[in-house]
Formats: sequence, C-alpha cells, structure tokens
Amino acid sequence: MKLSRLSQFHENPVVIAWWCARLRRLLEWLTPTRRRLILAVLAVWVGFRRPLKDLAQASELPVPTDGLGGALVIVVLFAFLWFCYKAAASFAALPAAVRRHPILTLHLLYWGVLAILWNSSPAAGLWRSVLLGVGIIFPFLIWRCGYVLLAGQHGRIQGTTFLDHLLTLWPVYGGSNTPYGKGLAYLSRCEAKTPEELARSQLAGLKLLFLCLLWRLLQDLMEALLYGPGDWLTGRLGGRTVGVPRLRELVYEGGQAPLLMAWASIYCEMVWQVLEHAIAGHRIIGILRLFGFNVFRNTYKPLLAESIVEFWNRYYYYFKELLVNFFFMPTFAQLGGVLRKRPQLRLFLAVFAAAFVGNVYYHLLQYETRLVLGDVFGALYQLRCRMFYCLLLVLGIYLSMARAQRRGGQAAAGGPARRLLRIAGVWTFFSLIFIWNVRSGASFLARVDFFLGLFGLS
Amino acid sequence: MNGDRQQWRQHLEQFLRTIQKPGRPLESLGQSDGLVSSGLIDSLALVQIVLYLEETYGIDFAARGFDPDRLASMASILDLIEETR
Repeated sequence: MKLSRLSQFHENPVVIAWWCARLRRLLEWLTPTRRRLILAVLAVWVGFRRPLKDLAQASELPVPTDGLGGALVIVVLFAFLWFCYKAAASFAALPAAVRRHPILTLHLLYWGVLAILWNSSPAAGLWRSVLLGVGIIFPFLIWRCGYVLLAGQHGRIQGTTFLDHLLTLWPVYGGSNTPYGKGLAYLSRCEAKTPEELARSQLAGLKLLFLCLLWRLLQDLMEALLYGPGDWLTGRLGGRTVGVPRLRELVYEGGQAPLLMAWASIYCEMVWQVLEHAIAGHRIIGILRLFGFNVFRNTYKPLLAESIVEFWNRYYYYFKELLVNFFFMPTFAQLGGVLRKRPQLRLFLAVFAAAFVGNVYYHLLQYETRLVLGDVFGALYQLRCRMFYCLLLVLGIYLSMARAQRRGGQAAAGGPARRLLRIAGVWTFFSLIFIWNVRSGASFLARVDFFLGLFGLS
Repeated sequence: MNGDRQQWRQHLEQFLRTIQKPGRPLESLGQSDGLVSSGLIDSLALVQIVLYLEETYGIDFAARGFDPDRLASMASILDLIEETR
C-alpha cells in the first residue's frame, strides 16, 4: 500500500499542493500559450539543425554539402510543412480523391519525389541534390504530416496555427520516425490548462525521467552480471558474470548454440528490448509532461501483460498507435462494406494491414538512403527477417484479439499461478519472435535453425 | 430525443461492460471521460465499438470514414448515434 502511494506520488494532492506552492510563479507564468511558444521556437531550431545533421551523415550521397544547398533543403522542407498545414486547414476545399485518401496522397507524393530522383541524371545539378536531401529527411516527417492531415480531415485544426503544429513536426523533445505524443490534436486533449494540472503533469514527467534512469541502471546491471565479459561494474559486484551471449551474436550459430544459453539469451533480449523502449520513451514523454502535455507513456509494464495484444499495446505505444491510426482502423472501417458478415476475416485483414503491411512499410521508409537511389528491392530484401517476424506478430495479435473477444470482457480465469503462466506465455511468444527481429547480420535460415535448435529439432 | 438518448446510453453501457478491461468500474466514468484514456478499453477494442454501432444502429463507417475521436467517450458515441438517426 505504501509502495503504491510512493509510486503514485504525482497523484497525491499533498505533493501537488507542495509543488504548486514552491513553483507558483513559474507555473502561473507557463501558460499553455507560452509553453507552446517555447516548444515552437525550439522546433524551428530543430528544423534547421536536424536536416543539416542528416545531410552531413549522408555524405556518401550527392546531397548538398554547402551552405546554399543546405539552406535550400531546409526552406523546401519548411515550405512543404506549411503546405501540408494549409491543406489540412482547408481540407474541405481539397479535391475529393485527396479528401478520401489524404494519407495515401501524402505517401504517393513522397514516392513521386523518389520517382523523379530515380529518373533524373546524377549530373542534373543543384535542384536534384536538394531533392535528394529532402528525400532522405522526409521519412522523419511523413507520419507527423499524416497526423496534421488527419486533424484536418476530422475537423480538429481550426483554432490552431502553423507554429502550434511545428512543435510536433520538428519535436525538440526528440523521437524517431515514430511521432511520440502523436499530433497536436492528441497533445491538446491532454494539455494542462491550470497551474494545478501543470504541476500534476510535471510530477508525472519527473517520475518518468526517474524511471528512465532506473531502467538505464538495470540495463547496466544486466550488462555487468548477465552479459559477458564484464565491465567495471562487474568488478564492483564480485567479478563474475553469467556470460549469457547476446542474441544478435548467438543466432549466427544456428542450431549449434548451447541450449540453456540460447533460451537465456532470447528471454534476456526481450527484457533488454523492453528496457530500451522504456528508456527512450520515458525520456521523451517525461519532457512532454514537463511542458504540460500529460500524455500516455510509450511503454507501460509490458512484462506484466497477460495477452499478446496487451503486450503489443504496452510495449511501444506510439508505434502501435501509428499502425492503428494509419492502417488498422482505416482498413477495418473500409472493409465494413464488403465483410460485414465476416467479422473474423475483417479483423484478420485489419491486423494484417497494421502488423504486417504497416510495420514493413514503416521500416522500409527507414532505408531512406537506399530508397533515394532506387534500391527498393534491396531495402525489401534487407527486411526479409522482419517480414517473417511481422507475420508471426499478425498471427499472435489476431488470435489474442479473437480470444479476448470471445471472453466478452470477463477476466481470464484462475489465480496467481494461472496469471503467472499467462505472463510466461507472453514472454515466451515475444522472446521467440524476436529471433527474427533482433538486429544481426545472421541470415533468415540461420535464425530458423536457431529457433529449431531451441526445441532440439535442428 | 432525450428518452432515446437515455435508452441508447443504457444499451451502450451494457455493451461496454462486455469489452472493458476487468476490474475497472464503468460507473466511475463520466459521460465525457475518454474510454481509452481512462484505461477502460484499449484502442484496439475500438473495433468492437465499430462492430456494435454497425450492427445495432446501421452506421456505415466505410462510407463516413473512421474518426477515433468520435468513439472517444460515451457522450461522443451517443452524439454519433444521434447524428445518424
């Protein structure tokens, strides 16, 4: 009871009152308008810094390296973002086909840019190198622009300015191609309006930042005690490690991997991945909460999930939301016209659209340097292990959802032992499918061999 | 119309009890509280609400498009039902 009160300190009225009393002037000064303005100004800075950084990292491509070229890339990107905002703001005036499929239009536009790059001569000059620069940076923006267009489609852009949206388009709070905190429409719904709400949000943010440090420490402990060959912390903790091999290395051995270590490695990898996502997500969501956007965590106790779908929901929330918003729900809704009498098939296809098509497509866009060079099949080939992982994920999620539907809101049967068994089942499922998700140069077949070896079938 | 809305609400509450996560009292939820944000259901359970609205009220999401915010709370779902009557 005391522990739960301690962990929920950010909901404790006494703590909130204390925080308010200490920081009253700051909390009152940080009105929603000011907070948005601070984030928007910083977003402009990110909008300059990030493209230049990305261009410098892509030096093997003929992207602009001089000041003028870099400036042009930034101007084109800002111009496109403004155009995207204007399109969303005047959504009703867009052509009917665009109104019906705004996200598809956005992606076709990107692929159109890629097609121009593929069909133009490398000696075409400055415009091509600028377009190339835009092509490698745009995957970071594409899902964020998607949320802006969705806000326009659903009539939630009125009363917002371009500057408001900029804070989510070039987020200073960080993030990958996945927009943590989704778009402005979602952030606004969770935005603190009063100093008390801001205090609660900030305390919740501090809690996440503390957890971020704690999980980082846990990772260090895993590194020191479980994974070999040991580091300075190992020495301080007695000098011995279990010596569990990293999965990314062990999968090379296929069926020859030592059985006990192979099982230990897959479970450890799953826990490691959960910690990785929790650390990255807590930092970003923690900062968002400090600014008064009290949004959901990215990772929320997935290791306690009792079903596959629950784990998927809790493990990497904003990526799952991306897949649900842009793939799952649109597919499910569209199929209503033809598959209303076949709900299970409709559900399966919607899960497939999200967990396979969306997941693979999202990761395809991460191969931006291959894409701009026209090596789409090479990029897809690189994703062959992930495709298999996604297929297994589709099956797991579909069966888990169908099972939950059959239960009709009833709690799963059994006491703590049955609960533990369910949790162990979820751990085992994700640990096993991570064999095809772990970043490693091991081939698909080596991974299959490794998987079979776990059951003595290699 | 108020009588209808009351009836729809009772029916909706009955349905939500069949898809909600165990151990979360529906009674403590206000009309405008978020179904997902309160933790009553997860966002994937929205498909159940779509099916329910299609079957019970004949709402055609294929034609009208899907906006998750229209299913965010009991009040917004009831508004959606009212619009389609």
